[in-house]
Amino acid sequence: MHKRSSIFANISGVFAIVLMGFPVYWMVSTSLKKREEVISVDPRFLPSSLTLDNYRDAFAREGFATSLRNSIIVVLVTVVISLFLATFASVAIARTKFRGKKSFITSLLIVQMLPLSALIIPLFLLLTKLQLTNKLGGLAITYVAFILPFTIWTLRGFLANIPVDIEEAALVDGCTRTQAYRYVLLPLMAPGLVATAIFAFIQAWNEFLLAYIIMQSQDNLTLPVWLASFTTRTGTDWGPLMAASTVVAIPVVLFFSLIQKRIATGVTSGAVKG
Amino acid sequence: MATLSNRLTVKKNLWPYLLIAPSLFIILLILGFPVFRLITLSFQKFGLEEIISGVPVWLGFENFRELLADPEFWVVLRRTFIFTFGMVAVSIIAGAWLAHLMVRMNSAIRWILNTTLILVWAMPALVGISVWKWMFSYEFSIITSTINRLGFDFAQRNWFTNTFSGFSIIGGIVAWGAVPFITISIYAALTQVPKELLEAAAIDGANPRQIFRAVIFPILLPIYVILISLSIIWDFQVFTQIWIVLDNRPPSEYYTMAIYAFEKSFGLSEYGMGAAIALLMIFSLLGVTWFYIRKMVQIGDSNA
Repeated sequence: MHKRSSIFANISGVFAIVLMGFPVYWMVSTSLKKREEVISVDPRFLPSSLTLDNYRDAFAREGFATSLRNSIIVVLVTVVISLFLATFASVAIARTKFRGKKSFITSLLIVQMLPLSALIIPLFLLLTKLQLTNKLGGLAITYVAFILPFTIWTLRGFLANIPVDIEEAALVDGCTRTQAYRYVLLPLMAPGLVATAIFAFIQAWNEFLLAYIIMQSQDNLTLPVWLASFTTRTGTDWGPLMAASTVVAIPVVLFFSLIQKRIATGVTSGAVKG
Repeated sequence: MATLSNRLTVKKNLWPYLLIAPSLFIILLILGFPVFRLITLSFQKFGLEEIISGVPVWLGFENFRELLADPEFWVVLRRTFIFTFGMVAVSIIAGAWLAHLMVRMNSAIRWILNTTLILVWAMPALVGISVWKWMFSYEFSIITSTINRLGFDFAQRNWFTNTFSGFSIIGGIVAWGAVPFITISIYAALTQVPKELLEAAAIDGANPRQIFRAVIFPILLPIYVILISLSIIWDFQVFTQIWIVLDNRPPSEYYTMAIYAFEKSFGLSEYGMGAAIALLMIFSLLGVTWFYIRKMVQIGDSNA
């Protein structure tokens, strides 16, 4: 599908690179600038000298250690639980027949479209009633619910590509069904599990709105909510905020580059081919 | 083999239900019940008093009647539609334009562009919003100072006093975050058009335009439908961008449906009214994306 390059396309490409890339550049370059240079009414595109002061200030800022810890806990719990449950559910969908399967699949697809900003009202009331607000467990279980439909759907796609014959061969060789799943199917699902784990990680790591509403006490912030706390009524601490933003973005960028291809084709192909 | 298959797919068996039960339970509790509660809530007067007493006051359609009679509601609804339309149009056109040009780019430029897009795509929403807010800050904005350097006199400028420039910037943040996904999806679809089809069409004497219309376009069409539907769904409910950029207290000229529902519920503690707004928001969204939802239901059917 690639054609000979055209000048117009190349110029547009360079233009797009600058336009899309500038905010990322500006974040990193601001984070490395000296304080006086950050808060200058005549900002320069290039830092005159590099310093890590902003990073030091960001790490020293109240709440960094706790919100980092909270984010890691919530992300780990979310990833482990959602993957564990999604593996079972996807095996059920891809490998067995049962009544109500059609409605289950349809509701998985529909549920992903519910606007969070509409659901947040009853969700907040529900979690308040269950006394799950301000608890890392409450936030994690909510994330699990929001991530599950996608993880089940994606794992189902992976399973559909693994021939049933392989498990049947294991059964012929005398495995029980559980053994066939455990020793034959699960290893074959590994790439899918890794991809969905990373997806779940990114979702839970980045999520802001739920964490903002559910976790109101200072000890319970996650990293995105902590980032929002840089703006107070007296103004914003821009240098450290850019440093903190860079730090929060790094793990996502690393993981993202690993699964980027799969997600790009996954979202659309799952829907087109079914 | 038949008996073995049956061992794997026994029909009247509890296995499948046991396998989906935990997932189903969590989804029903955290997503299903709130949908139901959103509906009941919208028919109630539910504020701080009712949270404490636990006894809601049933109002019938009173919340909806009050809303539909409130001119502000219609202003907000109209604003949300226009804002959504603008963001979807800009991000789809920019994304499609870029993807179709990508196949004609020099491979080095294409590689750098692809890397940049992935980098932007990976940015956590709050990181992206913070950076944009910084770029357009009142005192130290790189954008304002660059414009000034070009000979204009904007001095220090608050970009958000004017709602048009404010919404353009917020829409810019949303589009900036959405373009990578759109571009990469369309580009992936373009590169997956089977070579044989293109060659066959060329051998049959089709010109590039005919090839595009008869071969490439039909393959891309479903991708466009999905991307446009998803963009509508995402952009219609934009919340965080508006909320953070306007320092957690957006003035009422910036209310969209999502912010309006949120302010009514969490700002004024009128949860019933907030729920009614949220429900109308879902209905508007259902109306706009009806086609997509029908397609999803069909996929569910074909999988059973």
